Amino acid sequence: MIVYVLPGVGIYGGIKVGFRFVDALRALRIPAVVATPGGAAPRWFSSSAPVVAQESLLPALSGADTVLFSLPHDHERLRATGARMMFHCQGTDPLIDPVISDSAVTVLTCWEQARRYVHEKTGRASLDVGISVGDAFFGRYGSRVSGSITYMSRRGRTDVMAQMSLPAGTSVRAVDGEPECSVAEIMSATDVFVAVAENEWFGLPALEAMAAGCIVVSVPTVGGGFLRDGDNCIVVEPSLLGSRIQELLESPALGARLRRSGVVTAQAHRSSVQRDLLRHLLASQQLVFGP
Amino acid sequence: MNLTAIIPSVGLEPLLRQCLSCLAVSAERAGVASVRAIVVDNASLLPYDLHRLGSDLSVEIVRFDRPRSFAQACNQGAARVAGGDVLFLNNDVLLNPRALTDVLSARDELGADITGARLVYPDGTIQHCGVLFDGGERGPYHVWHRQSSDLVARGHRRFQSVTGAFLLMENALFTRLGGFDERYPFAYEDVDFCLRAGGLGAVIACAQGVDSLHFQGSSRTERAYALERVSRELFFARWRGRFTIDGTEDDPV
Repeated sequence: MIVYVLPGVGIYGGIKVGFRFVDALRALRIPAVVATPGGAAPRWFSSSAPVVAQESLLPALSGADTVLFSLPHDHERLRATGARMMFHCQGTDPLIDPVISDSAVTVLTCWEQARRYVHEKTGRASLDVGISVGDAFFGRYGSRVSGSITYMSRRGRTDVMAQMSLPAGTSVRAVDGEPECSVAEIMSATDVFVAVAENEWFGLPALEAMAAGCIVVSVPTVGGGFLRDGDNCIVVEPSLLGSRIQELLESPALGARLRRSGVVTAQAHRSSVQRDLLRHLLASQQLVFGP
Repeated sequence: MNLTAIIPSVGLEPLLRQCLSCLAVSAERAGVASVRAIVVDNASLLPYDLHRLGSDLSVEIVRFDRPRSFAQACNQGAARVAGGDVLFLNNDVLLNPRALTDVLSARDELGADITGARLVYPDGTIQHCGVLFDGGERGPYHVWHRQSSDLVARGHRRFQSVTGAFLLMENALFTRLGGFDERYPFAYEDVDFCLRAGGLGAVIACAQGVDSLHFQGSSRTERAYALERVSRELFFARWRGRFTIDGTEDDPV
């Protein structure tokens, strides 16, 4: 079996990225399943991946099986299963160092900064398997409320938004705990998405916002290589967020250009693009499952 | 290909004869080398008789004098299958002559372990072309149900579940999963089966190329509806929060 082990099904990007990866594999005839505690399935985004209970599945694994995981804490207990291990690297916290240093573990990375991190720390080459934005975010280019701003409070400092001085008529909405379809709906009616989390590794919400046609204003992130200041978004220090947003709202031409460029950036992360990448990796046997 | 069709049936003998006839034509068109049918007579008032059925197929009748659940009837029929492929087929499904060809094409194209078929009502609207799951009270539902089949895309497609009215798989997979769960009195045993198969990594797909007729409900009684409610409760007790959501409540019911 090919099993992606996840620690839960709460609203965390890593959970969604894991399920999306399994969906992509299954679309390519790789019969992967997801294992969660108690066999719980997520209810906040769309997927068709089968879910099984870790408690019953993990003891039955053997060397003929493959386990994928993204939480470094799972490393030791999964090693005990005897299954072949693949680490789906979704962050570059030093906690992952023992995992990526383990030669028995194949390392898959989702973005360039993670690939560099693995190489710098271990000298190993990881396999870039990409990352994708849900289809729900694309093609929603209808009417937007001018001057409306959305941000994800869970992912960053709410005080940054509270302290910001914004022009009159600007409306700010925090998104937290919403299912993906609602987030897509909100983003599609919003002018500007502000990414306020300074320690974001990749920043999938900013990419989702681009897909939904928002203008993205982001604080600098660790791994968000897709954020190009002045090209497809505005990248700015937190202390300058308010003034840059004000400038943006006063310049419709700049906003329109960033919005268009953002959509193009997001298109490169469609699920079909990731599937094409995985198809190539499988066909060229760079990505191999099984013993 | 060595195919055994399991057809649970109660009464409706003329319909059963037509079902067998359509199966024979569809199997021949698909080039199925060996096909036989096991008719599970689920306590028909007048027991079926091979002579009266008069099928071109090799037919075996398994007779129950007291009615069993759909799951029990199917499992008893499948217990007589030694290998090859097994097709669970309702007696009120009349296969399109190209149905099996289409299903085998979908199986090959999508690498499916379990394959279903597109079924329509006599008015040409969709009875089944795959099962989606929403996160609300509806749970599993037939996608595009009652929409005109002409308006629904024809590409073969993967699903988490397909209907038990037409369910093709290798007998080994059915055996490995212990068959349908007989605790379901009526309905949802097929969805339960598909979800369990998915947990083993099985790929499930539905062929969409041609329409076969399904007179669903022609023999449904009040009792059947009551049993279906019991099955639904059992299904949700077991699976609520444990299937992924790939449909929406906005889809047509």
